[in-house]
Amino acid sequence: MLRYILGRLLALPFILLGVSLVVFLLLRLGRGDPAVDYLRLSQIPPTDEAVAAARVMLGLDRPLPEQFLTWLWNALHLDFGQSFVNRRPVLDELLYYLPATLQLGAAALAVTLVVSVPLGIWAARHRDRLPDQIVRGIAFLGVSVPNFWLGFLLVLLFSVWLGWLPPMGRDGATSLLMPAFAAAFMSLSINARMLRASMLETAGQRHVLYARLRGLSERRVVGGHVLRNALLPIVTAVGMHIGELIGGTLVIENIFGWPGVGRYAVSAIYNRDYPVIQCFTLLMTLIFVLCNLVVDILYAWLDPRIRLKGEAPS
Amino acid sequence: MQSRMTPAAVLSGGLMLGALAFGAAVLPVATAAAAAAAETTLTYSWPRNGGALNPHLYSPNEMTAQSLVYEPLLKYRADGTLEPWLATAWEVSPDGRVYTFTLREGVTFSDGVPFDAAAVKANFDAVLANLERHRWLELAAQIERTEVIDPRTFRLTLKGAYYPTLYDLALVRPFRFLSPAAIPAGGSTAEGIVAPIGTGPWRLVEARLGEFDLYARNDRYWGEAPAFDRLLVKVIPDTNARAVAFETGGIDLIYGGDSQISANTFARLQARGDLWTGISAPQATRALAINSGRAPTDDLAVRQAISHAVDKRAIVASVLHDLEPVAETLFAPNVPYADIGLPPHAFDPARAAALLEAAGWIAPKPGAIREKNGLPLRLELCFVGNEPQEKAIAEIIQAQLRVVGIDAALVGEEKSAFQARQKDGSFGMIFNATWGAPYEPHSFVASMRMPSHADYQAQSGLPMKADLDARISAVLVSVDEAERQALYTDILTTLHQQAVYLPISYLTSVAVARPTIENVTFGATRNEIPLHTIRPAAR
Repeated sequence: MLRYILGRLLALPFILLGVSLVVFLLLRLGRGDPAVDYLRLSQIPPTDEAVAAARVMLGLDRPLPEQFLTWLWNALHLDFGQSFVNRRPVLDELLYYLPATLQLGAAALAVTLVVSVPLGIWAARHRDRLPDQIVRGIAFLGVSVPNFWLGFLLVLLFSVWLGWLPPMGRDGATSLLMPAFAAAFMSLSINARMLRASMLETAGQRHVLYARLRGLSERRVVGGHVLRNALLPIVTAVGMHIGELIGGTLVIENIFGWPGVGRYAVSAIYNRDYPVIQCFTLLMTLIFVLCNLVVDILYAWLDPRIRLKGEAPS
Repeated sequence: MQSRMTPAAVLSGGLMLGALAFGAAVLPVATAAAAAAAETTLTYSWPRNGGALNPHLYSPNEMTAQSLVYEPLLKYRADGTLEPWLATAWEVSPDGRVYTFTLREGVTFSDGVPFDAAAVKANFDAVLANLERHRWLELAAQIERTEVIDPRTFRLTLKGAYYPTLYDLALVRPFRFLSPAAIPAGGSTAEGIVAPIGTGPWRLVEARLGEFDLYARNDRYWGEAPAFDRLLVKVIPDTNARAVAFETGGIDLIYGGDSQISANTFARLQARGDLWTGISAPQATRALAINSGRAPTDDLAVRQAISHAVDKRAIVASVLHDLEPVAETLFAPNVPYADIGLPPHAFDPARAAALLEAAGWIAPKPGAIREKNGLPLRLELCFVGNEPQEKAIAEIIQAQLRVVGIDAALVGEEKSAFQARQKDGSFGMIFNATWGAPYEPHSFVASMRMPSHADYQAQSGLPMKADLDARISAVLVSVDEAERQALYTDILTTLHQQAVYLPISYLTSVAVARPTIENVTFGATRNEIPLHTIRPAAR
C-alpha cells in the first residue's frame, strides 16, 4: 500500500512538468500578443515603441526556451512570477482567491451528496414506478442543462422574480445556495442514477436474499446490506465530482460574482495573462491528481478485495 | 489497517465539510459596507477592482477609479473645449513652448496637505522620473523643464511647440496629482505610492480584492461635495450578472459603454418606464478601416462603392437599438477641429453599382460577384469573434455588399489575433474604433503615421500618403489657430474623399439608474464618471 502511494506521489512532479510545458507551448502558439493586451487594458495606444517596451517589461522579448526555463526555475522556488495584468505575485493572488473556490466546491459537494443519496435510494426502491421516472427525468435534465444556463434560470426565479436569494456576491450562507446548487446539479444527477443502479445490482445478490430469509426487517436489509455495499462506487464517483465541481466553478463564479480562482482565471485567459494561466492550470492539476489519489487510497482501504489484488505481487 | 470507516462514514465526512462551507459563509457578513448602513451609500459596479490607485501608472489602475480620486489642471468638456480645473488660468508663449499655469486657491489634498506649485512640480517630476513608461504620450517626451514660479504659479517648458499639450494634461493619467506626502522618498512613483491621496471628491477607504472598493466623501473637497457619504463599487465582471444585480437592487446604477450593459438589456430596462435612462453625447466613433494597400480595395471606386452600399441607419436600428447616432464622418462634429461640414457618403446602392460598373467591375451574370480582369471582387471583413455586436454588424455589411456584387468573407477571431491583423495590414476591412476624447483628433491622427496601426495600413495605398503624414506632423506643432484648422480640414477631407474609413456610429455611454437616486450626468470622456453629482432621490 505504502509503495503504491509513494509510486503515485513520485509520478506527480512529472505530470506537473508535462502539464506546464504543454500549457506554456499552447499559450504561445496563439496569434495574439499579451503585450498588446496589456496596453489595451492600460488604455495606452499600441504604438511600436509602446509594444516593444511592454514586451521587455513582461519578459516576452527573450527566446522561448529561456522564458520556459526561467519560469520553471522560479516555479521550483514557488515563485510563479507576476501577473501581466495587475503586476502582483501570481501565487499570492491565486491563494487569496482559492478559499472562496474551495468553499463553493465543498458546498457543491455537500449538495451533491445530500440530494443524490436520497434520490438514488428512492428511485431504486420504486424501480420503474413514478419515483423512478421522476428521478430519471431530473437526471436527464441534469446532464443536459449547461450549468451557466441553470445559473441564470435560478437567478431569474429566486432573485429577480421571488426576491428570496441574493443574485451574487459572497455575503452569508444564502449567497452560497444558488451557486452551489448550479455547480452540483450535474454531479448529483449522475450520482443519483449511479446509486440507483448500484443498489439494484446489490439487491439481487445472495447476501441480501439471505438477509431477507433471516427475517430481517426491510429497513435493516436496505440500510445495512444493500445501501452499505451500494455506496462503494459512489466514493469513486465523489473523487471525480470534486474535479468536476471545481472545474465547473470557473463558469459559475462568473455568473454569481463569486470571488474565487475560477473568475480570476477566466479573466486571465481573456487577457492572455500567461503567468496566471500557467499557475492556475498547475494548481488545478495538483488538486485533480491529489483528489484522485486520495479516492484510490480510500477505495482500496474500504474494499479489501481491491487491496488484496493490488498487494498480491509483493 | 483494518478500519471501521464505512462508505457512509466517508459520505458523512463530505457532508460535514459542506456544513463547514456554509457555516464559514455566514461569518464574513460584517463587511464595511454593512457597517456603513447608517450613512447614505451610492452603489455602483465595475468589472475589476480599481487597483492601487497610483495616479501616474496604468493597468491594473482603473481610469474610472483614478478619476474619482485625482484631478487634472484642466478638464475636457463634452463640446471639445477645456475647462479651468486645478489651474484657473494659463498662458502660452508665442513660440508655443512655455506654458504658465495659475493654480486654484484653497485646494487641499484629502490628507490636509495644500495643493500648490511645489506639489504640481513634485508630481510632474515623479512622472518624468519614469519617462520610459510614458513615452507613448507625446507631451511626456516633449517636457524640458518644470518650475515653481511662486506658490500659485507653475511653469512648463517644452522642447518644441506641441499644441495638444493642454489636451494631454486633461487625460486621466499620468498628469494628475498625488499628495506630496504620499510620494515615496526619492520622488518617484514608478514602484508604488504611500497611499492614494488626491484632491478629488472621493477618497478610498477600503478595497477587498475581487469583491468591492469602498470610497468616502472627501470632506476637504474644494468643489461641490458629493451628496452621498459613501460610494461602494462592487466588482461584477459579467454584464448579465450586473443587470441582475441592478434589477434586484444590489446596485443603484449601471453606467458605461457596451462592456457594462448590452444594448438589448438597456432597451429592455428603458421600456420598463420606472427607471431613469440616458445616453451620452458622442464619445468616440465605431468605424471600419478599408485597406487601400490591398486588392481589390486599392481601387478608389471600390472603397467609395462600399461607403454607398452600407445602410448605417439599418445597422444602428437593428443591432445597436438606436443607442448610438449614425456616423457620417470619422470624427463626430463635437471633436475639436472636426466640424467642417463634409458631405456624407449617402446610402445609395444604385450609385455604388454605377461606380463599380464605371471602374470596370462587371458581373458575369446578373446577381453574381463582380469581376475585373478575371479577379473576383472579394475582400476579408475582420472582427472580434466573441463580440456579438461586431459580428452582427459584419453580417449586415456582408449582406449589403453582396447586393451590389461585392463578396465579403467574414473573419471572426479572438481579440489578440484580430489586433495582429490590424498591425500587419492583413485585412480588407477591419473594425477600428477611434480613441475618444480627449485623444481626438490629435493623438489619433498622430498614430496614423505609425505602421503598427490599422489606420496606417488602411492608408498605405493612398497616392498622397507621404503628404498626408507630413501634414499630420505639421499640425501637431502648429502655433497658429487658423493654420491648424486649415491643416485639419485638409487631412480630414482627404481621408473622407479617399473613403478609407467606413464610419458606422458614434459610441456613447449609457446609464440606467434606480428611482432611489437622481441627477445622473455624463462625463465628457468614456473614463470619467461624475458620480459625485448624483443625489439620493427626493421623496
